[in-house]
Amino acid sequence: MPEDLLANLEQDMKELIAKVSGRDVEELKPDAHFWEDLGIDSIKAIEITVAIEKKYKIRVKDEQIPEITTVAKAIEVVREALQNK
Amino acid sequence: MAKKQKIVITGIGPIASVGIGKDEFWKGILDKNVNIEEENCILDGEVWEKFRFHKVKNFDISRFGIDKQKLDDIRDWKEGEEIIDLNYLIAAVKLALDDSRLNYESDDNGIGLVLAHENLGLMPFGFKVSNLAYEMLIGRQKSDIPKKVFFEGLYRKFLKSGYDVQTFADLFHVARVFNVHNYSLFINNACASGLYALEAAGQILKNNQAKAVVVCASDYPDIYKYVWFKELGIYAHDGIIRPFSRDSNGLVFGDGGVGVVMETLESAQKRGADIYAEYLGAGFNLEGWKITVPQIGSNSYQEAIEQALLQSNIDKKKIDVVCPHGIGSGPIDYYEAKAITDIFGPNPKKPLISAFKPYVGHNLGGSALLETAILLLALKNNIVPATLNCKNIDPRFNVNLVKKNKNRKLKTVMKTCCAFAGFNAAAVFKKVEI
Repeated sequence: MPEDLLANLEQDMKELIAKVSGRDVEELKPDAHFWEDLGIDSIKAIEITVAIEKKYKIRVKDEQIPEITTVAKAIEVVREALQNK
Repeated sequence: MAKKQKIVITGIGPIASVGIGKDEFWKGILDKNVNIEEENCILDGEVWEKFRFHKVKNFDISRFGIDKQKLDDIRDWKEGEEIIDLNYLIAAVKLALDDSRLNYESDDNGIGLVLAHENLGLMPFGFKVSNLAYEMLIGRQKSDIPKKVFFEGLYRKFLKSGYDVQTFADLFHVARVFNVHNYSLFINNACASGLYALEAAGQILKNNQAKAVVVCASDYPDIYKYVWFKELGIYAHDGIIRPFSRDSNGLVFGDGGVGVVMETLESAQKRGADIYAEYLGAGFNLEGWKITVPQIGSNSYQEAIEQALLQSNIDKKKIDVVCPHGIGSGPIDYYEAKAITDIFGPNPKKPLISAFKPYVGHNLGGSALLETAILLLALKNNIVPATLNCKNIDPRFNVNLVKKNKNRKLKTVMKTCCAFAGFNAAAVFKKVEI
């Protein structure tokens, strides 16, 4: 259910991003910039998008992918998609 | 059981920034005669956008010996406008037919036609719509113009241009110039269009729907495509394509097009045609994830390449050269390198890998066919042109690129392409030993 997913969204997303990127969950502060702070490049960002879509069964729009540049932005994209489900 | 028809290529007609016509084009590749110019889009004296691209020099449709009356008929239909990418298609078909020495003068020439392009007619249509909307609205409030009047005005003014954005009309125009009456198609599979078009032509020939087929693809780097690609963050701001490089910052458009003549081996031998190569087969896969982004981690591109090997009934160890899409954009290069190295192994010594966009730019819907033309000339001349601008290859990609032109006895080559919308494709060509 979207409600259950939304309740734990921040922690779950951090774990997802950590798993795909190889970073520690503790490093994933909301405003940490993927490339500048975490070394997550555009290739990894696409892999994160693929993992997000698979886990949450949502569709991220093409134009949203380049916008996913921080942990907070990734969470915002997923939250919006789940709320619109 | 009927003998399987072998399909061969007997004519090549390229138009690109490195040169027009097969000989000038190949010389331009070997001489690295790259021509990158700046294009300014100016509106009322103000620069809207400027961008660099590989520009065709000295193109004049009247110099190709094409029936003047038929060109005038097209100009009449286009209300006096010269549509440059349509002219590229017509000129490239002419060059390819001349190179093949096929006679197309009569209406029963038995030739078919397959055209490929991504956005034919988009720019003139976009400009007309924008201009009219500007004229109708400037200095007025929206409420001053009833919606009905506005809609009718647009319809009357753009009826023909609107239909011209649909591609059947330009298939008609090009076919009519060359007296083509046999099975003909217009294909749009984004950047992979050229490889889809070759396969379609092969099927037309195998089904005896034509005795020869001209496959022709072109594209023109207009302002709308530039703005789209710039906003996607994949247009190189410095105008230099660096395939698979750590320093890559995107693609650069390239002007032009190319025609390729295909027929059966039997037909080519019967008329004593020069044969560039046999078209062995191709593989295709539609990833279907996003329009503008490849799905990193999927197996779609690998499946297309494997299917091409299977259809061609050839072992991967026999492939001498692979020419990848190589657009110089990190994620797409990574996606492509992963597919190639999954099939051929990391940093393979064979096949050689060389990407040709740095010579001619990214010709979009025409790119796969234009680069196939370079590959076919490489096969014929036993020279693999180097990949330009590849000093700093990204080590994560595990691909060696050809850094200096290589003389090598070549037998079998492969063109691959990963296009927008996930149209992944690969095609295999083999030298015909007579």
